[in-house]
Amino acid sequence: METADLSHHISRRFNEDLERVRSKVLGMGGFVEQQLQKAITALVEGDSSLGESVALDDQQVNNMEVAIDEDCSKILATRAPAAGDLRVIVAIIKTITDLERIGDEGEKIGYIASRLATMERPADKYREIKHLGRVVSEMVHDALDAFARMDVESALRVARQDRLVDEEYEAIQRQSITFMMEDPRTIRRALDVMWVVRSLERIGDHAKNISEYVIYMVHGKDIRHTSLDDVERELRGGTAAAVPPASA
Amino acid sequence: MQPATQAWWFAAGRLLGTVLVGAGAGWLVGRHPWAGLACALTLHLAWVLANLFRVEWWLRHRNYADPPNVGGVWGEIIAQIVRLHRRKRFHKQRFVQLMRQLQRSTAALPNGVVILNAQREIMWFNRMAARLLNLRRTADLGMRIENLLREPEFVRYLAGSDYSTPVVIRPMNGEDSYLSLQVAPYGDGQLLLLVSDVSRQMRLEAVRRDFVANASHELRSPLTVISGYLETLGADPALDPGLEAPVMEMRRQAVRMTAIIRDLIELSRLEEGNEAVVGEALDVAALIGLLRKDVVARSVRPRDVRVRIDSAARLLGSESEITSAFSNLVDNAAKYTGSEGSLEMRWWVDKEGGHFAVSDTGIGIPPEHIPRLTERFYRVDAGRSRATGGSGLGLAIVKHVLQRHGGTLEVQSRLGEGSTFTCHFPPARILPVTQAASAATA
Repeated sequence: METADLSHHISRRFNEDLERVRSKVLGMGGFVEQQLQKAITALVEGDSSLGESVALDDQQVNNMEVAIDEDCSKILATRAPAAGDLRVIVAIIKTITDLERIGDEGEKIGYIASRLATMERPADKYREIKHLGRVVSEMVHDALDAFARMDVESALRVARQDRLVDEEYEAIQRQSITFMMEDPRTIRRALDVMWVVRSLERIGDHAKNISEYVIYMVHGKDIRHTSLDDVERELRGGTAAAVPPASA
Repeated sequence: MQPATQAWWFAAGRLLGTVLVGAGAGWLVGRHPWAGLACALTLHLAWVLANLFRVEWWLRHRNYADPPNVGGVWGEIIAQIVRLHRRKRFHKQRFVQLMRQLQRSTAALPNGVVILNAQREIMWFNRMAARLLNLRRTADLGMRIENLLREPEFVRYLAGSDYSTPVVIRPMNGEDSYLSLQVAPYGDGQLLLLVSDVSRQMRLEAVRRDFVANASHELRSPLTVISGYLETLGADPALDPGLEAPVMEMRRQAVRMTAIIRDLIELSRLEEGNEAVVGEALDVAALIGLLRKDVVARSVRPRDVRVRIDSAARLLGSESEITSAFSNLVDNAAKYTGSEGSLEMRWWVDKEGGHFAVSDTGIGIPPEHIPRLTERFYRVDAGRSRATGGSGLGLAIVKHVLQRHGGTLEVQSRLGEGSTFTCHFPPARILPVTQAASAATA
């Protein structure tokens, strides 16, 4: 619905500008996704040069954020968008902040990965991190897909998944504490691992934020700091009232 | 007579009859033939209008199956319209059938196909593309492809204009898979995007690479032991004179085998890193000077070894790799040129980039062998390289090094007259003199 609105805007040029910025955001998202995946691979496979290259490439993410920010300011200043278009711009500005943070966390993971690569590897070969990393990468991917498609359903699903990440985070934390108590020599490594897990958990939060902006962008509702069940009920109630029962 | 012509004659006859009857009736009733004629013509016009109305009514309601029963010229017109309509319907049906068949066949293709318009928006895609790229059947139509396929390599590829080779990406949603994507422009700025799953090929390729790397490493240590003992054996004064020649030959072959394994390891190392190297600014003139010294130090060498440096520009690249590539080329040239011949090394820069050429007046290469020279272990003739102790991998190494530096290798040769091997580097790899100087002082 909303995408159709976008394409039927009065000013064609404005529309193209908006679409281009959206594509830029998603391009930045794609780069960040790849950074995250490379960082996790570097850690799990003990590839120190890959980890270093991830840490170095974070500068590109920052540059992209600055460039998109500038584009948004320009659109705000010259076109003074209203209603849905304004929401799109606001959501974009917020989304790139979260993407940039994801990039920063990826940089941290890459840096730690290059350091851990020189240390002895644990028996489980970082299986938990691999699993958590995959869940979090999928969340980022799905959040960006929801952003591209303006898809509220998927956005809600991503937001729900964040709880799973939090649980996993707790579990790995408990496990690490057990390891540290068993063998104090592993404390150094376990602390590094905790940093990585913490970063992944933060990335999950950022993905959740992005999916919340999608809902804001489409429905104009700010759902931050509200329980997801309430949000869903309200959104469903809203759509049921707005659309004839054919969709039910 | 055709029915249509008949109808026209009939209509003309009817009009004539009406005129005659009207005029006659007017004359008989009150000596007013004109009034009678007017009445008759009005009636005739009313009849024509009524027919016209029926035809128009029928056309308006598109009730083609049930044409009105009108005679004369109007009937002919209706028949023509019905015929036209039937023909149109026939063509339309055939067209729809053809379209459906076409769509069914593309849907069954084992490769993914996506049609993009000039704005890179998805116009259509088949089932395989939906599966490989995670597209949704109708919801994703009209979306920009790069919004959904966000892999940086693909975005860069799409934004560029060189679609001659496919781009391989690792999709971020899937497991350990690889997709090969190629764009084919057609029509009015439209693009055809072909997608295929190359995970199997990539995995096989990785297995092959690993095998070669591991095998060469494993072979190296036993060979070192063998070479060591042969060395001792050859230097032993108590060695039976009859065994001296065989031991010498064994030593020569061991040296050759070491060279082959060294080149194999180097090749697999070059293949390992897929990314282009960044490297540092290399002083090509100094490098060529070193290469010249190596050639001059050879026991059998061309009498005339010339060096021509036309530019002080530097080359951005990995020092060890470029040295290895250049020395392979110079080595080959020296090997295949007799002591009477000459050898020239040249470095120059123009707007197409930097060029390093090695020319010799050696035995030359038959033209049919030139395209295959860079294949591993490819031999122009069986005796040629083995006699000179080459590993058969030199030019493969050169090709790989150049690939990693974005360059190309050009070979010109005439049998019996000599060969020229030229390395072309893109302008992005060349650091002009002024910049090179400031970089040196910085």
